[in-house]
Amino acid sequence: MIRNYFKIAWRNLWRRRGFTFINITGLSIGMTASFLMLLYVSFELSYDNFHNKMDNIYRVVADIKTPSDNIEANITAWAVPPNLEKDFPEITSAVRINDLNMIVRKGDLKFKETNAIAVDSSFFSVFDFELLQGNPKEVLKKQFSIVLSETTAKKYFGDQNPIGKSLKITEEGFNSTVTGVMKDFPENSHIQADIILSLTTFTQHLDKELDTRWGSYDAAAYILVNPNTNTDQLTAKFPAFLEKHSGEFMKQSKMFVTLNLEPLKSLYLESTRGGTGGGSMTNVYIFSIIAIFILLIASINFINLTTARSVERAKEVGIRKVMGAEKQQLSLQFIGESIITCLIAFFITTLLIIIILPFFNEIAGKVISDGLFSNYSNIFKLFGISLAIGIFAGIYPSIVLSSFKPIQVLKGNFSTGGKGVLLRKSLVIVQFTISIILITGTIIIYNQMEYMRNQELGFNKDRLLILEAESSTSQLSLKNAIDNIPGVKFTSLGSSVPGGGNSSAYSEIENKAGDLQIANLDLYFVDHDYIPQFDLEILAGRAFSKDFASDSTKAMIINEEAVKLLGYSNPKNAIGAKFKQWGREGQVIGVVKNFHFNSLHDNIGPLTMRMETNRNDLISVKLASNNMKQTIAEIEKLWESFLPEQPFDYFFLDDSFNEQYENEERFGNLFLYFASLAILISCLGLLGLAAYSTLQRRREIGIRKVIGASVSEIVNLLSKDFLKLVMIAFAIASPIAWYVMYNWLQDFAFRIDIQWWMFLLSGGSAILIAILTVSFHAVKASLSNPVKSLRTE
Amino acid sequence: MIQITDLEKFYRTEEVQTIALNKLSFNVKEGEFVAIMGPSGCGKSTLLNILGLLDDPDAGSFKFNGEEVAGYNERKRSDLRKHNVGFVFQSFNLIDELTVFENVELPLIYTGVKPAERKKRVEEVLEKMQIMHRRNHFPQQLSGGQQQRVAVARAVVNNPKLILADEPTGNLDSTNGNEVMDLLIELNEAGTTIIMVTHSEHDAKYSHRIIRMLDGQKVTENVLV
Repeated sequence: MIRNYFKIAWRNLWRRRGFTFINITGLSIGMTASFLMLLYVSFELSYDNFHNKMDNIYRVVADIKTPSDNIEANITAWAVPPNLEKDFPEITSAVRINDLNMIVRKGDLKFKETNAIAVDSSFFSVFDFELLQGNPKEVLKKQFSIVLSETTAKKYFGDQNPIGKSLKITEEGFNSTVTGVMKDFPENSHIQADIILSLTTFTQHLDKELDTRWGSYDAAAYILVNPNTNTDQLTAKFPAFLEKHSGEFMKQSKMFVTLNLEPLKSLYLESTRGGTGGGSMTNVYIFSIIAIFILLIASINFINLTTARSVERAKEVGIRKVMGAEKQQLSLQFIGESIITCLIAFFITTLLIIIILPFFNEIAGKVISDGLFSNYSNIFKLFGISLAIGIFAGIYPSIVLSSFKPIQVLKGNFSTGGKGVLLRKSLVIVQFTISIILITGTIIIYNQMEYMRNQELGFNKDRLLILEAESSTSQLSLKNAIDNIPGVKFTSLGSSVPGGGNSSAYSEIENKAGDLQIANLDLYFVDHDYIPQFDLEILAGRAFSKDFASDSTKAMIINEEAVKLLGYSNPKNAIGAKFKQWGREGQVIGVVKNFHFNSLHDNIGPLTMRMETNRNDLISVKLASNNMKQTIAEIEKLWESFLPEQPFDYFFLDDSFNEQYENEERFGNLFLYFASLAILISCLGLLGLAAYSTLQRRREIGIRKVIGASVSEIVNLLSKDFLKLVMIAFAIASPIAWYVMYNWLQDFAFRIDIQWWMFLLSGGSAILIAILTVSFHAVKASLSNPVKSLRTE
Repeated sequence: MIQITDLEKFYRTEEVQTIALNKLSFNVKEGEFVAIMGPSGCGKSTLLNILGLLDDPDAGSFKFNGEEVAGYNERKRSDLRKHNVGFVFQSFNLIDELTVFENVELPLIYTGVKPAERKKRVEEVLEKMQIMHRRNHFPQQLSGGQQQRVAVARAVVNNPKLILADEPTGNLDSTNGNEVMDLLIELNEAGTTIIMVTHSEHDAKYSHRIIRMLDGQKVTENVLV
């Protein structure tokens, strides 16, 4: 009997190849898309879970309250972690991780290593990063010890064994010794590093006071606690701990710190403090929902097309019943057919995923999976999903088909009945509702992206080339030399450029009331040329000038937000305000108009600008519009002669500023691709349904044509029904899309307003696509010879 | 073999109730060949469906081999049907996706006959119907006469006691029609009871008895032999 079912299933599929093609294509595309999404989601959920002690590792973070603001930092003071370990028996180890940016040399080889960290020696005991060579407990104990990733070791030493060899860290001017080689960090780790330097290099050599600094914030900190430690109770003891060690300091500086713990297992997706690599639980939810939606759309197609075709299968059901088949036997047969279809789709999906995965990795910006077969459980999961769809999508059609009354069917006076039609219509509405929500989402995401790219930023970033020179005394002379290149318009020096991050400093500035107000303020170090170069507008006072010698030590320029923070109603009133910051004292000499020195995710905060020549690592070069390549080549030549020990390193400001939106751009792209797929699959379903509905109405079309209906009238007749469904879907989708996207936009401090035309565009395009799909069959039907269709009845 | 008494069947639509069978009574003995005639809509097919255990009467009694079957549930009817009744339809009703052999094999599958036995019996009956050479063809590749022979073969492969034929020659030309009638006569002579619904006086003459119906009731009954 099973063989008989297989046979008939296969022949059925083959005989109606067009239908089968639509059905299997829709399913395969749907399964591929949603499985890729699920891979992505499970990859995101897998972050940091390779650490055996994951459940007992926490990141220590600090909330810092100053009289002016409350900062939620993702780092703690240097002194906190070692003292936590000392004071609390439930804390087994504490590890500090400090991001480094260093130039590493070996003979003629020189590289700028931006993905380097300095860590405490317990790093490899707390975290399960695999060491290929070296003892985890020993490798980072001594000062000047360095551990390289496998790739980095190859880069410097080729196939030689790097252990015991030395590398020169140029900026600090010491030689380090390679004590270990580690496997490249897994992609799903929020901690990333190519080079690890022992933190003892700092504590024993570069900065011996480090372990006692309670007011200096640089390093991320992680603690490992004993299993079953109640972290709420532990956290409750922190205020007393801080009071004991730095209570005096906090009172003096008016910076009050609260320590909190963030569990490692949810850090990547749930922490809002940054420093975790940009995971987002919202995105995980959104992508999971899209994956389920697409699977739903594909399954709906399957159900719709199969039940729509039930008329054709009715005769077979009737005959089988007359021959003695029971309802259950028939149900099983049809579910079996559905499973076979899904298994064919499973094979195609497997192939598609193998082909698409590398591109998908590229879109996602990370290697979410090396390949489908790199993890066999993936294949089983995919197989399980296929089987489940086969069964669930097969149940309804099998119930419909197996309940046909044989007499009616065989006598030919048989109709599918209003019930099935209603269900099919509802399912089409569901499909298009989902599609329209996704299209609307895409339109809004793209508009937000465009808005961010084109937003008036308050500074000029066109043709600005930024050179990164590690602190060196040659910067000024290099800048002056570059100034003389004909293709260069201006140059300036600064510690930061917009979008590139900056220091923040404990500051005291005179406010409206005449008091020195304490605040933690963002800080830019600049030179005389910086403000004119970036076209920053001076609202009151003046910019830094060479005419005033005191500018280089005693002058500060603040932005409008800082004026507001200090309570001045007019920027002019802030001129002359006294300040103390990082050991310098002086007066505010000017106010600049607000400009976006951070991404548009964030509001513009208060900013201070000062001059200090030895902190200006960045040389900004404004290029003329012609011959940029040649100009850059000339700059490189100069670089080689001024900074021979440093690799030539530059970027364009507009590129780097837009890179801040890389995550959104990826998100937008993924969203776009998957929304398109949803529409495509929905249309495939519509195409199939339209085909069958015109087939069913062949006689009606014939009669109408004989009576005198024109082609356009018939196309209209056939398209109308489907259009109604898409319209209803539009009405349902619009408020949902509005709600979801309104909430998504709340993440952006600077955002677009959702406009009516966005809905009109998405609804319009869905309707247009539906018309095109349906009219293909409608036109075909209306052009056919009526005599033929009437005779076949 | 068949005793029906005061059989009634109604069809209801939203507003109208149509009487398909109106207190119909007659008997059929084992080995008989009965033809049922009457204009369209007189209830012939309804009767045949009830006799074939495909449908249930609304009132009256239907005894099959002395057993009251009116009111049987679907499963019991199906069980009785697959072991005792064979059907031949006007429009053949073969499954397009199955070959001649597989179509004929179908009733044996549903009655749980073992594969080797099935093969033997299907081949036997195909031989008898002289369509053995077409065993691997699909229905669309056959002429109407050949298709009806396959349908007859399928109806008899289970050795049913009763064959119900619904206008078996309705879609055939006279030569093919006569051939099918000869097959039915042959089966009847071998002992199978046959009840045939027909519009054709010519075909009806092959039977032993003609029951004429009108508006769900028996009008006349002619015994021919």
